[in-house]
Amino acid sequence: MNYNKIVSGKAGTEKFFLGNEAIVRGAIESGIDIYTFYPGTPSSEVGENFMEIFREAGMRWVEYSINEKVAIEVAGAAYARGAKAMVGMKNVGLNVASDPLFALATTRPKNENSAMVILVADDPQQYSSAVEMDSRYFLKIFKIPALEPSNPQECLEFTKEAFNISKELKLPVILRTVTMISHARSNVVIGEIKTSGIEENFDLSKEVNVASRVYFLELKEDQIYNRLKRALEMSENSSLNRIVNENSKNPYDLGIITSGVSYSYTNEALDFFELEAPILKIGFINPLPERKIAEFLRNFKQIFVIEENDTFLETQILAIAQKNRFNVKIHGKDPFSYSKENTLLPMVGELNPTKVALALVKVLNLKPRIDLRQINKKYNLMARQAILCAGCPHRATGYALQKAIKKIKLKTGKDIYFYQDIGCYTLLALPPFSFANVKYCMGSSIALAQGVARTSVSLNIAIIGDGTFFHSGIPALINGIYNNTPILVLLLDNGWIGMTGQQPNPGSDTRYYKEGSTKEAINLEDFLHGTGANISTINHYEKDDEKYISNLTKLIFEKGVDVIENRKLNVILIRDECIQKTIKREAPTIRYVNPELCNNCGLCYNKLMCPAIDSKEEFAFIDRNLCLGCGICEEICPNNAIEKEEPK
Amino acid sequence: MKVDSYRIVLTGLGGQGLVSLLQILGNALKIEGYKVMTSETHGLSQRGGKVTCFLSFGNKLLAPIPMIGTADMIIALEESTILDVLNFAKPDKSTNLIISTYEKHEIEKDYPSLEYLLDALYEISENIYFIPAHEVAVKSLGNLKTMNIVILGYILKFLPIKRDVIETAIKENFLGKRFEMNLKALSEGQKLISKNF
Ligand SMILES: Cc1ncc(C[n+]2csc(CCOP(=O)(O)OP(=O)(O)O)c2C)c(N)n1
Ligand code: SF4
Ligand code: SF4
Repeated sequence: MNYNKIVSGKAGTEKFFLGNEAIVRGAIESGIDIYTFYPGTPSSEVGENFMEIFREAGMRWVEYSINEKVAIEVAGAAYARGAKAMVGMKNVGLNVASDPLFALATTRPKNENSAMVILVADDPQQYSSAVEMDSRYFLKIFKIPALEPSNPQECLEFTKEAFNISKELKLPVILRTVTMISHARSNVVIGEIKTSGIEENFDLSKEVNVASRVYFLELKEDQIYNRLKRALEMSENSSLNRIVNENSKNPYDLGIITSGVSYSYTNEALDFFELEAPILKIGFINPLPERKIAEFLRNFKQIFVIEENDTFLETQILAIAQKNRFNVKIHGKDPFSYSKENTLLPMVGELNPTKVALALVKVLNLKPRIDLRQINKKYNLMARQAILCAGCPHRATGYALQKAIKKIKLKTGKDIYFYQDIGCYTLLALPPFSFANVKYCMGSSIALAQGVARTSVSLNIAIIGDGTFFHSGIPALINGIYNNTPILVLLLDNGWIGMTGQQPNPGSDTRYYKEGSTKEAINLEDFLHGTGANISTINHYEKDDEKYISNLTKLIFEKGVDVIENRKLNVILIRDECIQKTIKREAPTIRYVNPELCNNCGLCYNKLMCPAIDSKEEFAFIDRNLCLGCGICEEICPNNAIEKEEPK
Repeated sequence: MKVDSYRIVLTGLGGQGLVSLLQILGNALKIEGYKVMTSETHGLSQRGGKVTCFLSFGNKLLAPIPMIGTADMIIALEESTILDVLNFAKPDKSTNLIISTYEKHEIEKDYPSLEYLLDALYEISENIYFIPAHEVAVKSLGNLKTMNIVILGYILKFLPIKRDVIETAIKENFLGKRFEMNLKALSEGQKLISKNF
């Protein structure tokens, strides 16, 4: 990746930036001092870019924080002390960060330079999320301003604007994006990089740790009746809320209100019908500009509110129309009816231009030149599900676990349940392994197992990765150890945060990542021993143990039986590195199938299901372009038909 | 050749280099003076499953997702995945369908038959190009991963991009040895243009 391009280049030149890269550039053009984050799609590239360039860009600090709560606290205190601070997370990250954000939003830093921007990246259609969550209603709860860009250029500009607004109001400002904006790449004209305005002297009195209830209520009054009120005035006068195609005419007396990515979908659909309509484009999404909206509503017989997921804009616009007693028909999702028949746009799933076009057909009774419904044909597709990478250590764990639980059931006759967490290993919930009974959010698995273990005599197994364990699994484990709750915890330590792109966590090998030389790794094994629980460790980092699968199977079997028979909590630390990280350091030892020895039993392609292995007519076949050399198939092949390719 | 608006849909499997292809193509078009909008896929959706990306360019900024029925070109890096995005083709059958003949089968799943595929394609377009990009990538270059750039070389035939511009764009994506290899892949792809598929 070419990170340098973020900091290089003269003001006025045009770059080809990802929305997320444009956000980084915008922050540097605002004189940012500190960025803290926890990775999560689609927000991760912001932090990764900052990590590469922050020293060169003259920033004081960038960190992968342990979770979103800590990230927002670190950035929040820096903001209180007079820094320009920014924190980044995905939608659900805001849930984790929400507790401190209440207090943070209410406090009012005394330092002139203080400014804070909170990047929240939503993921409509939950392409890479455990739930589909529209974070916008949080804005009402936190009572803070928010901006929403509709393309990468706006990502840069709105980030700068967010810093300006925050600096002026002394309220944190949320920059809200969605996947299709964070991961859109487009022409972006850059501006001047600004140096930090931070001062060495600062006033922290009464800022961070306010014990007085009365004082806090006063601050809350100030937040609502003073700072938010000024935010409203800004929103009314902001060019981020503007009418596009103001003088255009259409025979339907239709005006459109939209924001963010939906704005571009709206244009695409209007173009398709060769239709023009005035559009009130909302970039300053909280607080909404009531006067501006009312003035816009006044001019039309029909208004179409076009937004993705929840009806954040529509419910407020309905209220504004009612308050002004306008006789205008407002089309959208009919939010109070909860009726699938009444809604013109779905409340579930991502929006796109086609959905907007179909809605326009309905609202305006259009006869399109091509029949959209007819184009929308269904084909017999080959379904493909996401799978673990070839050579993924979690596949080896899944394979051993499957064997071990058969043996445990045979010996004890007990039922076995699995609690999944969030990471690549979540894919073990799919065939051929199917290890999942309950799954909530990051860090839940260990507590979920306890809930069932406390109310039944079954064996309950939590499956959690090292990244997630550090993020929020530790309190749940301590809860289980302290209460002496008999569960089996499989801690899948692949050394990295695999799912979001192999970012480091506190246990990662500091030799193998940028900034690692400045860190002190935490030894997970020592840490676990410190809790006094029953800990066993198995290590497959060298990948040279020819009996790895059978040793792991044996260990899981023994500890599972111990949990059942001795009612003891057990943790198995499975240390086996994410293969995507290993192959960046050393070329893999690729395996091949010796057709002479293979009797096509199918164990490797049906039971292990490594995607590098296929079946030809008479024997299994390893695609040498896909094999990453974990060696697990070699161990499990009962005919010793899988061998190492000689290095060339 | 100056283009007002042009929409491309790209599809394939995670790990096939769709995003690199998208970045290089988009960057080159940007250098050629267009407003470009692409949407990349990151994260879980890339773990081996199907991936769809979009690229639109022209004299104004378009949306990161196009309408169905409006694509000028559809590229599939894996043959069967073209079926997922045929709805983007124009009803007048003018859309260029660029299909790499690489097939990735999965155990215990029926791969769409060639007959079914051809029927579907001929109903949709009169401009279908099957490109044996994987064979070229493996035979001439010894690396399946360069398949995406072989395809890139081929589609230059339809796009307003000069050779030196595309080289600059490739250089910004790949350094050193990988640059050399991908430049070769590009040339192999361009050689295919003179052949008929
Ligand atoms: C609250 C929250 N923050 C961030 C994410 C994004 N995310 C998904 S999985 C994951 C971490 C996975 O790491 P680990 O547990 O080590 O598993 P691996 O993917 O390495 O197997 C993250 C950060 C999320 N789902 N929820
Ligand atoms: S083919 Fe065998 S050695 Fe290669 S990645 Fe798959 S399981 Fe591992
Ligand atoms: S990224 Fe790493 S942990 Fe995730 S599936 Fe691939 S090999 Fe496994």
